[in-house]
Amino acid sequence: MSFPHAAPTATLPIPDGPTGNGALAGQDGKVTVAADLLSTWLGFADVQRRTLDVVQTELSRTSAHVETATLDLSDRFRELAQKALDQSERVAQIVAMAGSVEIDGERVPLDTLVVGMQDVITDMVTNIVTLSRHAMSMVYLLDDVQKDVGELEKSIGDIDTINRQTNFLALNATIEASRAGEAGRTFAVVAQEVRHLSRSTGELAERMRTKVTAVVKGVRNGHDILRQIANTDMSPQMLAKERVDKTMDSLVEQTAHFQSVLETAATVSSDMSATIAHVITGMQFQDLTKQRIEAINDSLAIMNAGLGELETRIRGELPPGVVSREPREWLNQLLDRFTLSEMRERFVRKLLLEGTALDENGVLDVDVGGSNSSGGDIELF
Amino acid sequence: MDYGIEVRDQEAVVRLRGRLTFNDHAKLRTLIGEMAQNPARRQVLDLSSLEFVDSAGIGMLLIAREEMANANKQFILRAATGQVKRVLTVAQIAKIVPIED
Repeated sequence: MSFPHAAPTATLPIPDGPTGNGALAGQDGKVTVAADLLSTWLGFADVQRRTLDVVQTELSRTSAHVETATLDLSDRFRELAQKALDQSERVAQIVAMAGSVEIDGERVPLDTLVVGMQDVITDMVTNIVTLSRHAMSMVYLLDDVQKDVGELEKSIGDIDTINRQTNFLALNATIEASRAGEAGRTFAVVAQEVRHLSRSTGELAERMRTKVTAVVKGVRNGHDILRQIANTDMSPQMLAKERVDKTMDSLVEQTAHFQSVLETAATVSSDMSATIAHVITGMQFQDLTKQRIEAINDSLAIMNAGLGELETRIRGELPPGVVSREPREWLNQLLDRFTLSEMRERFVRKLLLEGTALDENGVLDVDVGGSNSSGGDIELF
Repeated sequence: MDYGIEVRDQEAVVRLRGRLTFNDHAKLRTLIGEMAQNPARRQVLDLSSLEFVDSAGIGMLLIAREEMANANKQFILRAATGQVKRVLTVAQIAKIVPIED
């Protein structure tokens, strides 16, 4: 950067146009500038140079802050994305398990299990029906057997009656034979044999009665037991199938609902993870910001150098009596704009302490480099 | 349980009333005999007035069906309601005996 050369006096080349306060228009494109105005300009130039320094520093600081914060945020988001992914895997595991149960080390789908159990109960009910039918057939059979055995008892009684008559007849025959004397001797033997036969028949009838009585007793006991069995009503157990069926259906339905909700949850977790990945990509804006700030800083540096060069050259042309004057009012206005104490301190330090002026408002009393510096804290917001 | 039989041209309708339990087994045997003997080919058991049936009752109905088959007759259950209908459904009696509404 270069500037037009100035004459050794306090006259400066200026472009055409109206002249400001404290400057008199001269010949040859040169103007006479009052020492007072130059002092003020030098003061401003000094402050401007240092302001530019501070602005550059602040921009670098800000860029660094953003970079640190962005990296931190990226890390946290990455962690969050990983957790969402873990979550979706866990939910997927539950979804895989939800529809089945483990039986003897083998995973059985719930609907298969339910159908199997319903089949078992159906078989049970069918068995009850078959059993009831057989029991009733037996009851009817034993009813008949009991009737037949009663007949048998009666028949044995009939044999007794016949036997008594036979015995009586044989006795009469014996008496008649003895009356007949020698002629009836043979007949008496026959009558005697008939009495023997009748006694044997009586004994046989008695043995039969004993056995038949035992059979009757057994049949009656059996009949009673069978009646008790057949009289045990199993219809409530049969109807329990209705309840079991409803319970099983409800269980399958509920499981399906859980599964669908969990599948949605898994999808949401996975979506979250993808969204977070996008957020992390989106945070690369910080790189761009950093490059822009660096470019701005470079421009500011060039401006600063130009300003310094101009200031040096003007200072060289000035008579010894002219010194730069600190623009205090302007400085105060500038400083008032800083609400962030830590930044204000850095400005004060740079603008006032490095300058020729001393602070009139007690800034020097403040421990500017001290511990109350709160750089980078959230007070920004 | 008690019953009434109404014999028409082709079918005999037996209306059962009350509760059919094991205690009715003798009565039901008599009924089966009557059904086997009447001339109608279709023997319909009207269950609309039957309030309750126990498992023995179901067994007896199946015996009735068997006896009708032996007598070469058709055996039909009709208009079961309430507990009777539920038990017939659960026991899948419709697989063995035709059931009409």
